[in-house]
Amino acid sequence: MGLFDVKIISEHFGVPEAKGLEYYERKGGYRNARKACGMAPESIAAEVQASNLRGRGGAGFPTAMKWSFVPKDADTVYLVVNADESEPGTFKDRHILFWNPHMLVEGMIIASVALKVRNAYIYIRGEMAREYQVLQAAIDEAYAKGYLGERIFGSGTSLDITVYRGLGAYICGEETALLSSLEGGRGWPRLKPPFPAVKGLWGKPTIVNNVETIANLPWILEHGGKAFADLGTGRSGGLRLVSVCGHVNKPGVYELPLTVTGRQLIDEVCGGIKGGRKVKGVIPGGVSMPVLAPDELDVPFEFDALQKDERIREVEVRPGQKFDLGGNRTLRTMAGSGGVVVMDDTTDITQAAWRIVHFFAEESCGQCTPCREGTGWLAQVAHRIAFDHGRAGDVDLLASIADGIAGNTICALGDAAAWPTLAFLTKYRDEFEAKVRNAHRPKGAA
Amino acid sequence: MAGSEPLTKMQRHPSFRARKAVPGKELSPQELSPQIEARIQQLWPRFPEGRAGQALCLPVLYLAQEQFGYVDAAVVDLVAARLGLTAAHVTGVATFYFMINKARPGRYHLQVCTNIGCQLMGAYDVFERCKKRLGVENKGTSADGNVTLTEVECLAACGYGPVAQIAEREKPEIPLYFENLDAKRIDAILDALAEGRVPTELGN
Ligand SMILES: Cc1cc2nc3c(=O)[nH]c(=O)nc-3n(C[C@H](O)[C@H](O)[C@H](O)COP(=O)(O)O)c2cc1C
Ligand code: SF4
Ligand code: FES
Repeated sequence: MGLFDVKIISEHFGVPEAKGLEYYERKGGYRNARKACGMAPESIAAEVQASNLRGRGGAGFPTAMKWSFVPKDADTVYLVVNADESEPGTFKDRHILFWNPHMLVEGMIIASVALKVRNAYIYIRGEMAREYQVLQAAIDEAYAKGYLGERIFGSGTSLDITVYRGLGAYICGEETALLSSLEGGRGWPRLKPPFPAVKGLWGKPTIVNNVETIANLPWILEHGGKAFADLGTGRSGGLRLVSVCGHVNKPGVYELPLTVTGRQLIDEVCGGIKGGRKVKGVIPGGVSMPVLAPDELDVPFEFDALQKDERIREVEVRPGQKFDLGGNRTLRTMAGSGGVVVMDDTTDITQAAWRIVHFFAEESCGQCTPCREGTGWLAQVAHRIAFDHGRAGDVDLLASIADGIAGNTICALGDAAAWPTLAFLTKYRDEFEAKVRNAHRPKGAA
Repeated sequence: MAGSEPLTKMQRHPSFRARKAVPGKELSPQELSPQIEARIQQLWPRFPEGRAGQALCLPVLYLAQEQFGYVDAAVVDLVAARLGLTAAHVTGVATFYFMINKARPGRYHLQVCTNIGCQLMGAYDVFERCKKRLGVENKGTSADGNVTLTEVECLAACGYGPVAQIAEREKPEIPLYFENLDAKRIDAILDALAEGRVPTELGN
């Protein structure tokens, strides 16, 4: 499988000593951090611009463009790495933190030089105790070597990296909630604009980037932005870590070209569906993203393709009425967090849909009424349908609640609950209706 | 797959029960441990002037929970006093985050993920088995006070589900994942907890 041979981040996953600085450095590690310390910030930014690197945290936003929003005259700029990974179905950042922590640290040094950052933070999910220990050990090693702290690598650059642990709240993965939490408060999202790049942590310009996004930077400096862009396709550079779970023979984390389709991912990478059964649905980028039906799997799992390819049906509010994403745009799906959930033909889609909206109801921070109340109702109605208590009209009710949440909230958690709901209803409506029709009937009755 | 009736928003709200400290009882913490003090000293300079006290609210709450097993009103007061914050702020933070125990949990806190990746692999069977064997509902503690059982959201190990984590009260965390759970493996875990030990040999 030559196609899948190039690796940027995952080459040493599974090698125990890869966590250590000695091994990492022997493989060429920290060379590019050292190089960055002698470079002009603009030339690093130019390489990132040329690389077509896009954010791996969920939105796929071009990294260089995000960086360019930092006001040029800012006196203090913060870098915050989002290691809160908690989008159900996603478990790739945890692998980077555990197997390759030094690559993240090196990437942070590079980004900090480019952004003129003196203090950087890593916000790591509280439940990841093991990863926290490995990461902190790596940072301690880097300090001991003089790669972090005052005048790193003997250059004029100084940088401190502080690991900050979350305490269990999905919403803290949302960048503004993360900043509220890192300031020591409740993890409440803030209205955007202003965007964090302009007004973030303690009111200062702050770049929030995902773990995987930052871990790509050493490779980009080593090989040049253009080489990274060439590995990718269209407007998306590089490779991508994809985590696959559910009914496949070989679930796990894979680093793959962006041209790989859903079908290739299941059949060629993950060894097919368990027990030789058939696929029924695939969520391409964490549970916030609309599900794909079996006939939509020949599209590459790439940011733009998943949004625009016409082989993917547009999500509807009710049959015939397309969901309006705003600005005359319709919704197909998105690459999101790279968390792929594969469901085989034995899956009860209504129960899967219930579990997803139940999650959002649990995790809503409660600030906005449409989200706080709406996600609770979604969970209740979805539960009724999934567990055979559905009432006439419940399927339409579910859709109208979802439509009422979408676009009407402070942060994207509201959309994240609404979109998958509407997508399940668009693509598996018959199943929901059949559940309601057969509700309350004794087992075995016709 | 099976699920419990979703709770209403009110039921879900982790309402914080303020408890008066009773002198002489273990519920009445006197001071934060020297380890916490050392950690405060270490982290304080990492935050800008005037911001450190509040920024340290989460880390100190977490460490205080390690020391006392949970965070009640008396612990809140200690943390607030040390960091120069109001008790109202610290209470607000403590009630927001899932990992802060508002009341004394069992000796072991067994946390089973039932989110989508694990659900597809049979997490509800595992969870129901735990409920039955421990004789508790979600968030309940077994009659002997040994195990608190909680249904948790995705633990970022979805490809190896069903997954669980175990926290031991008043002990520094046990950073293990218990993966690919089935009836046999969860039984072995529950047996070990009943014997008073975390089955590290089953985790990774
Ligand atoms: C509800 C919600 C949860 C999120 N959770 C995460 C997360 O766990 N990790 C992450 O990197 N980004 C998460 N994001 C996306 C972040 O807000 C942000 O876009 C991202 O960290 C930016 O990094 P990037 O540009 O490198 O992708 C979440 C967004 C929302 C709306
Ligand atoms: S959309 Fe939901 S999670 Fe986001 S701020 Fe509003 S209530 Fe909180
Ligand atoms: S769904 Fe259970 S660990 Fe992610």
